[in-house]
Amino acid sequence: MSESDQSSEAVEIYHRVNRLKLKTGAGLHDGPGFIDPNAIVRADTIIQKKQSLYPKMVEESLNRLEDSWAQFKAAGSEGARREAIERIYHTSNHIKDLASTFNYELMQHFALSLREFAERIDPERKEHQVIVQAHLDVMRIVYQENIKDHGGAKAEELKLIVAKAIEKYS
Amino acid sequence: MSKTVQAIQTASVGNKQKRAYSLGAFRILIVEDYPFMADLMSTMLREFGVGNIIQASSGTEGKEMISLFNSDENARNKIDIVLLDWLMPEGDGLDLLRWIRGHKKDSIKFLPSVLCSAYTSEAVVSAGRDNGANEVLVKPVSAQKLASRLLYVIDKPRPFLRAPGFFGPDRRRKSDSYSGVERRITKPEDVKQFNERI
Repeated sequence: MSESDQSSEAVEIYHRVNRLKLKTGAGLHDGPGFIDPNAIVRADTIIQKKQSLYPKMVEESLNRLEDSWAQFKAAGSEGARREAIERIYHTSNHIKDLASTFNYELMQHFALSLREFAERIDPERKEHQVIVQAHLDVMRIVYQENIKDHGGAKAEELKLIVAKAIEKYS
Repeated sequence: MSKTVQAIQTASVGNKQKRAYSLGAFRILIVEDYPFMADLMSTMLREFGVGNIIQASSGTEGKEMISLFNSDENARNKIDIVLLDWLMPEGDGLDLLRWIRGHKKDSIKFLPSVLCSAYTSEAVVSAGRDNGANEVLVKPVSAQKLASRLLYVIDKPRPFLRAPGFFGPDRRRKSDSYSGVERRITKPEDVKQFNERI
């Protein structure tokens, strides 16, 4: 396929042999196959069992977030502050993934909100730091009080705290 | 009975004439920076019967793994499918995808790649496709969704297209038929077809 490496204005279409299909033991002209439905149920059951690990995993991640935030505040240069924000960005992304996997909607909501804010934060603006702190505080409360869903007076109250911080200090 | 179990049982009845795939010979690479999520995906794949599962924790490590296993075009233990996370430090999913599609070797540039993302917007799915993803797997990942994406890659492989500014699986679904006035028409003489033989 040396032609493929030549730049050209023409459109080239490659019809490849479906080696994946052959690897499954099927023939190239066989119809679609399936993955054992019992295996899919088993896999989902194992995932649900792992839900018992959620509190420990979230606590570890929250500790990491707070450590990164402490490093941010102690940093002596803009570069070091940027690095700390980068860690906050990725850790909040992990919390969001974890929470969404096990349907912890409120934690997912705040983790996503923090990750999105970390994308646009100006590390040199003190007001922006208030917004990060608000996220960390409410996420710790959500974890400690084991609040799972969006609904409920407490959840609404916490969402309002963050929303007001964002509105006032953005 | 949960909806998932019901759906799977219905599928099971419908699958009577179909073949249950054996994935024991498959080698799948998971590129994910969060070890817990990588282990979760590994667990699911193992239950599906996937024989070889390897993990990389960054785009950079993913490149090293792919180079290690797929540089030899004739190797028997090549990586068959890559599942790659969109957001990662040290080389994100899109960067890895561009590297794969831009590679010189056929055993790498045609590698089936599934981009995992929590974003569900059309723009994100388009960005994945525009950078050469075969499929996009929307998080949170469930066993059903993962199985469905794998089956798409196995049963409905898209031909690869090289056009100015793009190399990757054809972004159009066969069922998409567009006949609007702005339709771009390529003359038959401007299309070269390459059929691979075994």
